[in-house]
Amino acid sequence: MRISRRTLLKGAGASLALPWLEVMQAAAPPKLPVRLAFLYMPNGVNVNAWSPEGTGRDFKLSPTLEPLANLKDRLIVPQGLWNAAAKDGDGHYVKESAILTSTRISKTLGEDINSHGISMDQIAAQKAGAATPIPSLELGIAPEATGVDNNVGYTRLYASHIAWASPTTPLAREINPRSVYERLFHAADPQTSAARQDALLLDRVLEDAKSLQSNLGQADRHRIDEYLTTVRSLEERTQRSTSKTGLKWKRRAPIAATAPPEEDPKEYPDKVRLMLDMIALAFRTDTTRIATFMFGNAVSNVNFRFLEGVTGAHHDMSHHSNDADKLRQYQLINRWHVAQYAYLLNKLSEAKEADTNVLDQSIIVFASALSDGNSHNPHKLPIVLAGKAGGRLNSGQALDYTADTPLANLWLSVLSAFGTPVESFADSTGPLPNILA
Amino acid sequence: MLKHLGWLIFAVSLQAADSFDATRPFLHQYCQPCHTGSQPAAHLNIDSIKPDVWPRLAARVRNSEMPPRGTPAPPLNERQAFLKTIDEALHAEACAAPAHPIASPLRRLNRDEYTATIRDLLDTHTNAGRDLPADAAGGQGFDNAAEVLVISPVLAEKYLAAAKESLDFAVRNPQARKRIGIVEPSADLPPEDAARKILRAFLPRAFRHPVPDAEMDPFLALFRDAQTRRQTFDASVSYMLRGVLMSPKFLFMLERPDDYALASRLSYFLLGSMPDDKLFEAAAQNKLHDPDTLRKETARLLASPKSMDFIDRFVTQWLGTRELGREFIPDPTVFPQYAKNLELQGDIRLQPTVFFQNMLAANDPLTDLIDSRWTMVTQVLARFYGFEGALVPKDKGEQPHRVELPPDSHRGGLLGMSAVLAVSSYPYRTSPVLRGKFVLDALLGTPPLPPPPNVPALEEHKEGHPKTMRERLAQHRADPVCAGCHSSIDPLGFALENYNALGQWRTEDAGNPIDNTGELPDGTRFSGPEELKAVLMQRKDLFVRNLTARMLGYALGRGLTPSDFCTVDDIARQLKDNGYKSQTLIEGLVMSSVFRNQ
Repeated sequence: MRISRRTLLKGAGASLALPWLEVMQAAAPPKLPVRLAFLYMPNGVNVNAWSPEGTGRDFKLSPTLEPLANLKDRLIVPQGLWNAAAKDGDGHYVKESAILTSTRISKTLGEDINSHGISMDQIAAQKAGAATPIPSLELGIAPEATGVDNNVGYTRLYASHIAWASPTTPLAREINPRSVYERLFHAADPQTSAARQDALLLDRVLEDAKSLQSNLGQADRHRIDEYLTTVRSLEERTQRSTSKTGLKWKRRAPIAATAPPEEDPKEYPDKVRLMLDMIALAFRTDTTRIATFMFGNAVSNVNFRFLEGVTGAHHDMSHHSNDADKLRQYQLINRWHVAQYAYLLNKLSEAKEADTNVLDQSIIVFASALSDGNSHNPHKLPIVLAGKAGGRLNSGQALDYTADTPLANLWLSVLSAFGTPVESFADSTGPLPNILA
Repeated sequence: MLKHLGWLIFAVSLQAADSFDATRPFLHQYCQPCHTGSQPAAHLNIDSIKPDVWPRLAARVRNSEMPPRGTPAPPLNERQAFLKTIDEALHAEACAAPAHPIASPLRRLNRDEYTATIRDLLDTHTNAGRDLPADAAGGQGFDNAAEVLVISPVLAEKYLAAAKESLDFAVRNPQARKRIGIVEPSADLPPEDAARKILRAFLPRAFRHPVPDAEMDPFLALFRDAQTRRQTFDASVSYMLRGVLMSPKFLFMLERPDDYALASRLSYFLLGSMPDDKLFEAAAQNKLHDPDTLRKETARLLASPKSMDFIDRFVTQWLGTRELGREFIPDPTVFPQYAKNLELQGDIRLQPTVFFQNMLAANDPLTDLIDSRWTMVTQVLARFYGFEGALVPKDKGEQPHRVELPPDSHRGGLLGMSAVLAVSSYPYRTSPVLRGKFVLDALLGTPPLPPPPNVPALEEHKEGHPKTMRERLAQHRADPVCAGCHSSIDPLGFALENYNALGQWRTEDAGNPIDNTGELPDGTRFSGPEELKAVLMQRKDLFVRNLTARMLGYALGRGLTPSDFCTVDDIARQLKDNGYKSQTLIEGLVMSSVFRNQ
């Protein structure tokens, strides 16, 4: 069965904001753009070393969060959140794939792929993505997870995607930093004549497809329509980039000032750094304002032996069985992820913009979809927010919410801080208190 | 809609004639104590077994997980009769199910198919799909399953860039120009007529179907656009053909009830690419559906070197060895020799593929995959396995060779191959659990149940750490929640403990002698890989059925539906009848009505 546009909207998990909100926003645009990034860490955390001590402004960073010490007054550490819809189903896929949709994905080996929602970043992209040459970036390190997991009955497609443009459209990720660079370069600096030719060509492709539509069954037409929709939106985007009035966008820094990244980095930490550099580059130049990044796919088993004191792989260590040594290594792996997060934050903080910097014009979220990985615990998810969203975030505090507060409430607040508010999101009950300035 | 109707009919037919009735006495005698009442164990009440539970139930009884140890065990003949009843009932239901319960979505070419198709269409050897996003897998576990070949918005952008790069290269390359059919304009042939001529040759190959002249118009218009911009003839042709490569008629496998669609299906199954000229010809003459022609064409394609693409994609995704050297990298600190030796890495990765290919070419039985007296090795791999050098001729030692195995080589079948043994381990140590799961899932097609959600952590051992993996797992199995499955998973892996995490033979690990004994819950005991393979040989029909199902999923490019298992059973029976000859599998799949009339 295919989903009609109507059910698609109904099941979208978000009721779109009333038009007046958008009008209001258009009437008083913020001087500088706000950016939104989400960094996803697979496999949960060693819960003994995650939570900060105390709440409010006087909190003390935990050992795992310690790499963020110099950024403490720009952080928010919300605790007690979860996605109730994903509380069971299986250990990983149902939780990890839905972290930005706050829904419950359909259990399937492929035939009924459905997230039952649009991810938070894509709601932002659908409302504000047209303001930049690229609506949003989806990035990763690991290639698409292969095979199906017969053990639990899910296609591993779910392991590789957190960004959902529609309940049935998981977004493909770029995993090669060089391709990202080239894409940014091309998008931020289009050659007008080539773009015109592209637009014309895409137009003819749409014309050619008309001869096809009439003799197709409904299921077949659906896929073709999906494809033609992407062709059409590319055509519109290309068209816009060639017209002087079409896009008010101006790049805020030249891409070419940054050298292209290495073609095919071999080591995992290098790949991660280069990808984070691409987020920084995209945000600094304002080529996009929205990005999601996956350190690894769900159930990632990246070998962390490159890290001092670690002798094993990620998923292996997350199933620590309360073994002290495994817990120690698990924590080191978590802390390494946080340190990479800190690297991006510092990089954005160093990027000056008017009388502020890109970090303070951003919301950069770091999270995992599990707390304790050993028991696949879905409660009290480990989450950090950084950046001030241009002053819209009440940064510099740890917040303890009532146990099992909907994670969707956080996404509601984040969308609001980003400037694309919605009335409700998935199972949200209202914005989180104390987060917005 | 179609799909739901199909399931409905399926469910109704199950109720109408419950062919599972003959299982009642067995269920009541052996399962009733735990599986009745309002809170039955594992939520399974034997008085209301849902249709989709039967295959799993049978698998658990077949794997001797149920009834659990400590409860009255059924005698072997009763168990076999019980399983036979279920198998027959399932088969009858599968064959009674509607043929097409699921209208599977139109399939687009996946990244590998796109690359190979551009290669054959243009006769170039660039990796055209390099920048396309990788595809996920679905159904039977392959990345050509229509339902997971979703359309990501970035695709259009990527296709456009790939088409431009491929065609700009092709129009400058004499070999490609010839293959495309580029004719030069001349005094007698105005540019637009030349463009039309090119399209007439190119479009049917690109769309894998005859194309009426009227459908050339949008592309001719592109040619004119480019000419108006005063582009050269070649640049205009490139621009025009770029449009062709963006067309859904090129990017999707359009199903039509004719021989052209059958040609495409056959070609993408056995070559992973577009049909060649001979296949097009057979389709044009409307001969391909004729069983003799279809058989001949199947044999011809299978003998083509390009069939290696199919075999490699199938085998590496089936066994999970595709990950080796990509996401799965044996730890360089534990295996420094491997890390340094690129040739060895390649030879290990390729071994299952060339084994499968050689088995098919020689029409050897599929059971050779379980255990064989031969294998495929290069000189480097022979040395790695510790074979005598004489087995592989020196002059062509870099090529894989079929060798008779020396006695006690421990290298027969898939389970003797490093690639398989590595990807069913951690990068730095073996895992009997992962290997046992591999045997149950990939080989037998009876994956264990998932661990219960929120399974509590193992309590730390009061008297200090258990010393060995075996002790640790024994402690794990002492927990009844875990024992249910792990008592049939772990022993299979223990039998393979003589292979380290890279599949090298060992008799001790960190100074401790290897204990390679295993015992299944039904009391079957074995030690070492040879005895394990003998146990698997007794289950060869299960193995062959699983392999058949997986390859049917690959051949159809979609997940299987209940009715497809009727086809699977038929082919598995043909295989049993003729000694599991491997070519029978391919032929049986192609000749099946579901493949011919998808």
